[in-house]
This record gives sequence, structure tokens and C-alpha cells, in this order.
Amino acid sequence: MIITRPKPIKEILSMVEMFPDLSICVVGCGICARKIRTGGEAQVSMMTAQLQRSGLDVLDGKIVKHACSTESWDSLVEEYPALDKADMLLVMSCGAGVSLLGRISGKPVLPGLDTTSLGSALKDETLENFCVMCGDCNVGLYAGLCPKSGCPKSQVNGPCGGSIDGDCEVGERECIWAKIYEILESRGMLQLMDGIRPPVNHDRRL
Amino acid sequence: MGFADVLGSGKFVVTAEVSPPRGTDISGALAGARLLQGLVDAVNVTDNQRSMMRMSPIVLCHKLGEMGFETIMHMTCRDRNRLALQSDLLAAHALGIHNILAMSGDYPTMGDMPSTKPVFDLDSVQLLQLIEKMNNGSDFQDKPLDSPTSLCAGAVANPGARPLGPQLFKLNKKVLAKARFIQTQAVFDAAVFNEFADAARHTGIPIIAGIIPLRSAQNARFMNEKIPGVKIPDEAISRMEAAADPALEGMRIAAKTIADIRTNCQGIHIMPIGGHGNTRRLLEMCGLD
Repeated sequence: MIITRPKPIKEILSMVEMFPDLSICVVGCGICARKIRTGGEAQVSMMTAQLQRSGLDVLDGKIVKHACSTESWDSLVEEYPALDKADMLLVMSCGAGVSLLGRISGKPVLPGLDTTSLGSALKDETLENFCVMCGDCNVGLYAGLCPKSGCPKSQVNGPCGGSIDGDCEVGERECIWAKIYEILESRGMLQLMDGIRPPVNHDRRL
Repeated sequence: MGFADVLGSGKFVVTAEVSPPRGTDISGALAGARLLQGLVDAVNVTDNQRSMMRMSPIVLCHKLGEMGFETIMHMTCRDRNRLALQSDLLAAHALGIHNILAMSGDYPTMGDMPSTKPVFDLDSVQLLQLIEKMNNGSDFQDKPLDSPTSLCAGAVANPGARPLGPQLFKLNKKVLAKARFIQTQAVFDAAVFNEFADAARHTGIPIIAGIIPLRSAQNARFMNEKIPGVKIPDEAISRMEAAADPALEGMRIAAKTIADIRTNCQGIHIMPIGGHGNTRRLLEMCGLD
């Protein structure tokens, strides 16, 4: 699941202003953004209405099956003709969806959301910061909880000194290291934390 | 005698912290450090502490070295990737800076540039490993340096962090990575510190306890809220509230803490709020002047 957050409407309006006189189609995504309620039916229709109230020429709002994966632009247009009629797309999906539609549509695209992390949807709960796509995965050593992603400081050798009562010093979140330690201890597997872990090999992302 | 030798001699050490300026004029920082002449074994210089932008500590360490001070330069992993860490370690060594305190660093959102990109390419354990490699004549990739460093690397720990288990695990890794001493977060609860010191004793690493003499109840509350890892007990805050002379009461609290932990550490590190005007007096109260 790719985690997205709504952008402030002011920011969206100021982006749209940079493309005057273009008609717009708002595009949501039927997978992640719909599931976590950032780019599903309700959000797309609310955005469409908001932009129309601001006097913008919004032709329609559509949810595509998956914004990041399609056969071709033509096949998308066959299913959603409004996409082709508009001069510009405001895409309420993750960055991958915005980029793909930008590449294949030949039209200006604007992001309607901010993409923040790889996470999960567990029933109605959105879980963030599961993976930073470092290209050098060893999450099995950390009880399945990646500290490169779950710890804001990406500490791979243990917690920093800001872990107080199991809470992280940054924002309202748990200290992932308190959790990793708790699980490994309960499984009798603390030896997995032995030894010094090397830093991420960023070369592997290229 | 360098700081490593002083530590090795078993002496109870005293260090104190100064901060680089938020501008180009370092005269105030040097004047502040002058108050420490003859009082301390080394002066620590902070590295954008609390993620607040300041001058690089390399410059202030160098100038303090010219004044005859032994310095401990703080180095965080927050602002530099592994290339920059190595560059700055070489630069520090070339300028006669012999001691580095390696730490992860507070997160940028704590400070005055919250939108900063946090680096954290290495963590504090890997930074200690890097220093050890450079001392042995190679860079982080194990390629030979033209000339090696000879740096004494220290590490930090927070006795008040909970749960303590993962903290001790990390401390062990720091010892494994050849940290020569541990400097702790400010201690306000002697029992908490002593529990930590007992648990860390098997490593044999010298522990230097961080001490912040409180200035006021208000300032104590501010620290509880804003400084990661600091936990000032309510009792100390009540004493500060009731005191006719809060600064003196803060020193009394600090002196009592030092007395209560003294047999469990090999030194103290003074981190005053707003300069070293009272540091001599505090050390006198502890018989450490």
C-alpha cells in the first residue's frame, strides 16, 4: 500500500493557477488512495466541487482502476473518455500514478496528494512507514519491522536516546526499536541484534 | 596530557560544554570558555545542538586548542553523509582536535530549521566504527588513507531512556565499535543513573555523567517538554519553585546529584543554561575545583 495524504486546497489552487485556461479532469485511483480514503469517490467528488466553486473549468471527476498500471492511454480513454477531453489532469493517487499518467497522456498533470511512505491498510487503520525502498532489505533481522523506515533517524543498530517509555522523540509515534526489542525478546531471539549492522548500500538502488 | 590519557589514569574528570555562535563572531564563546580555565579536563563543543543552526564546531575547537584547552568535538550524523563525516574528521585531526563525541543527533524538527533534510547516512555506532578505521589508516571502504587519524572517540547514552534493554544493547555495540568513553544525557535522578551505571559496568567503559544546573522551575518545565530524553522529576521542579534563589537551588540540586552518583561514574560533564558564570561555584560545592 502506498501511503498518500491530501494536499492543502490552497496549494492545489496555486498550482492550477500556473496553467490558466486549461480544462481539468480530476482522477482518483481505485487501489491504495481509494482504500485509505485519500483519492476515492468521496475525495474526488469533493475536490471536483471545490475546484468548480473556485471558478475552474473542471469537466469531470473519475476513479481509474489503478493509476500506476494500465495497458495504454488509449485503453484508459476508452473506459474514461473524460480523461481525453480535459486539457490537464489533477491526479489523486501516489506519485507513481501521477507520473505514469503524465508520461502516457501527453497532457500536463498535477499531483492532488502527497506521497509519504509505503505502508499498509489493516481493516480501517492506515499504517505508515513500513518501507523506504532502500534497495538493501534485511527486515527479517528486525522482527519484520524495518527501522530504516520506522525510525525517523533510520537507526539500524538500536534506538537513539530519545526513546522514552516506548515513544519516539519525533511526533506522535512509537519507538520502533522498543517494539523490535520486545518482539525479539518474547521469541527468545535477541541474538539477532548482536553485532554491528552496516549502513544501507545506496549503490543497490541504481 | 590528552583526554584519553587523563581517562586512562583513572582520574575523576570534569568536562564542560560551550556552543559555537549563531554568527561569525566567536569572541563571546571564547570569553565563556575562559571561565573554565584551570577547572576542566576538556571543553566540549556542540554540533548544531538541538538542531539549531550554529557555526561549525571545528573552528571553535581549533581556537580553544590555541588557548590551551583540550577539546571534545561533538559530531552528529544528522547533517553529514559518510563522505562529509570523513572530510570533517580529517579536517579536525589536521587542526589538532583529538577527541570526538559521536552521536546520532536530535531530529531536525526539534530545531529552528524543521524542514531540513535529515541525513542519518550512518548511525552513531557506524560513526564510531568509521573513526576506528581512520585511526587504523583506512577510510570507510577500507581503502588506505595517506595518513591516519589518532582520534579518541566517545559516545553518548541516555540513562533515562525506557525501555532500558534496547539502550544497553546499543551501548554494547558502541563499546564493540571502540568508544573510549560514554557521556550521558543530563542526570536529574541519581537512582536512574545508578541503575544504568550498574547495568553498564560489565563493559568497563568510563562513564561521564551529564549535569545541567537548573536555573528556574520554568526552565525545568521547558526542558522536560522540549529536550529529547530529558526527564526532570517533579520534586526538583517543586524545589525550584519554592526557592528564594532558584539558580543557587539549581546548583544545590546538581551538587547533590553529583554526590549521589560519584562512585558510579568517572567524571561529570557540565552543560549550563546560559554560560559558565556559576560553573566554578558548582565545582567548589562538589569539591571538584
